[in-house]
Amino acid sequence: MRIGTLKESYIADAALFDSRTQKVWLAVAAALLLLFPFMASDYWLYLACLVSINVASATGLNILTGYTGLVSLGQAAFMGLGAYTVAVLETRAGTPFLLNLLAGGFVAMLGGIVVGIPSLRVKGLYLAIATIAASFIAHFIFANWKFTGGTGGLSVPPAKLFGLPLDTSFRLYWVIVPVTVLMLLGAANLFRTRVGRAFIAIRDRDISAEVLGIPLLRYKLLSFGLSSFYAGVAGGLWAYFFRVVTPESFPLLMSIFFLAAIIVGGMGSILGGILGAVFMTMVPELLKLVVALLPGGNELTVFLSPVRTVIFGLLIIGFLVFEPQGLAEVWRRIRRFFHLWPFRN
Amino acid sequence: MPTTTNASPMSQRRRTLLLAAGATLAAPLTATAQASGEDIVIGGSIPLTGVFAFAGVGINAGIGDYVKMVNDAGGIKGRKLKYVPEDTGYKVDVSVAAYKKITSQNKVNLYYGDSTGFAKTINPELDRAGTTLMAGASFASELNDPKKYPNQFLVGPDYTEMFGILLKHIAKEKPGAKVAFVYSDSEFGRDPIDKSEATAKALGLSVPVKIMTPAGSVDVSGEVIKLRRAAPDYTIFHGYILAPIPEFITQGKQQGMTSKWMGTFWTMDSSTVMKMGEAADGFMGVMPYRYYYDTEKAPMLEKIRALRPEYQSTAYIQGFLAAMLFTESAKRCLDAGKPLDGKNLKAALNSIKDFDTGGLIGVPITISGNSIPVGRVYRADMKAQKMVAASDWIKL
Repeated sequence: MRIGTLKESYIADAALFDSRTQKVWLAVAAALLLLFPFMASDYWLYLACLVSINVASATGLNILTGYTGLVSLGQAAFMGLGAYTVAVLETRAGTPFLLNLLAGGFVAMLGGIVVGIPSLRVKGLYLAIATIAASFIAHFIFANWKFTGGTGGLSVPPAKLFGLPLDTSFRLYWVIVPVTVLMLLGAANLFRTRVGRAFIAIRDRDISAEVLGIPLLRYKLLSFGLSSFYAGVAGGLWAYFFRVVTPESFPLLMSIFFLAAIIVGGMGSILGGILGAVFMTMVPELLKLVVALLPGGNELTVFLSPVRTVIFGLLIIGFLVFEPQGLAEVWRRIRRFFHLWPFRN
Repeated sequence: MPTTTNASPMSQRRRTLLLAAGATLAAPLTATAQASGEDIVIGGSIPLTGVFAFAGVGINAGIGDYVKMVNDAGGIKGRKLKYVPEDTGYKVDVSVAAYKKITSQNKVNLYYGDSTGFAKTINPELDRAGTTLMAGASFASELNDPKKYPNQFLVGPDYTEMFGILLKHIAKEKPGAKVAFVYSDSEFGRDPIDKSEATAKALGLSVPVKIMTPAGSVDVSGEVIKLRRAAPDYTIFHGYILAPIPEFITQGKQQGMTSKWMGTFWTMDSSTVMKMGEAADGFMGVMPYRYYYDTEKAPMLEKIRALRPEYQSTAYIQGFLAAMLFTESAKRCLDAGKPLDGKNLKAALNSIKDFDTGGLIGVPITISGNSIPVGRVYRADMKAQKMVAASDWIKL
């Protein structure tokens, strides 16, 4: 039973991973991530890549909404900006894919900063509506600008690493997952810095934060910028993954998907963003597997498909009702149970 | 840390449960590609839920019924067909997941896709794998390019060809007529517009107005005024399923418009047109297939009617015909002793000349490229609650 964590220095107190158990489990997780592609079928590799992209984008939104308290429904639009930047650079300039990904992130970041400007004046639902506008504007630009291929969109050639085309889920896995892990580490570290703490102060009470000397506009814009950077890189990965980018690839519903992911996962927690994105992406697929186990064949599939959607909806509602702090809190409780086991807690 | 040798029944149960859950989750991970014997597999990304479910349910039933018919008759050269559908909710990422799942668990020779987005997204994978021939619910003109999409085909004319069939009919019925295009602001809606304007001009027709509206828009009064001012003899709607077509027709008629109203495939299912109500009496449009209740000689339709006594949508016929063409391609490949891969199956499909579809399409068909450029103009008879033929079969 773990009864406490002794910390003897400030550095130890501010460490990213504070206990040996945690480090061991992270090493196990890293080993599993390394082994996974050699064990899994193409289908599971595809899902792993998709989950990874969604985790990156949800983490970005978590920085903005979960940690800074600014609601946004524009995450898909910023992903679109990143994806289109990558697609345009790849098809027209032929620049290396890592550079394209970074460019995608920075273009989305600029977009995010512009969209974030109203955030000093408006909050909550008002800000959500202002960010919805970003979706409409981005869609209009994507659909009507010849440079973006109009409604037909752009086809993206595969990313190349040392001359090797990354055209299968197996090969893409080695790019997408490490990039996401790096972004997660970046986000986790962010909240050990002055900037991250300023975000949290703004979320908890923005007027008090200003009194404490935190320039609100600068930090709110920074939060929008960072969040959009994450979305842009995720969008870039998305473009390389699906290889086709069209204006209809990034609907408003996708932004709602990410908002739902961080709410279900747990706002203001890096783990929450991960668990939420995994839940939202994987549960519909796992429900399909469950349905497939039932006998009955084709006719039953037709009947059970809508039922599956209803169950997914009910699961989301269930989580919100019974665990409003999200899956991250469920995970914390499970950990607590094992920390104190065999004693009752 | 203290250890316990006698775990309580509660914790034992919990541990067993955890183990069972872990095993259940891990089991599919280890399921690697398994060839399914000698079966010829048709995979399907089918939208059984979501906005396109109305069509997906029909498509699924159509493919399933044809596969059953072939298997009941002994299969193709002794090999059975196996149909493996997955619901996609009409979402591209889910659809790709379905493709990956089906192809990693079966040796898939033929595949049915649910959307233009999916067809475009999966194309590089089809080219890379080279194992599969794909058809689908999309009639996008972009897909009608054998060089860019060598492993795919459309189960009918593409959207530009649908317009071509309508315009050919109009040019014959009323030479020099004015034709308005009303289309949705989507990839689907904009698809045939530019090329069709050129086709209209080449046929001696004029296009006085092109109106783009949001898909499914409700308030179209401003657009109707614009349309009335242009006074077209014909108005072609494209890129919608139902709304806002009834609004356009009702308001147009109220304002004294004498235009004939027309639609393209996804608007033209009998049940969709009948939902437009009395205002749509005489509504016309292009249909590449016979309707379920068509009385002209069609042995395959008779079989379908014997199997399913209630009305089946045009999406059903589309799925049924897709499966029929898949089967014919596979049969031709096997007859020639060639392996069932994407290239051979496509070559076999393109060898189809004057093929009898059992009356699903009223004339023998030839597939030289990626589409079947043939169709017929049908008109709504609201009294009979049926679509009746308004032209002969038109080949482009």
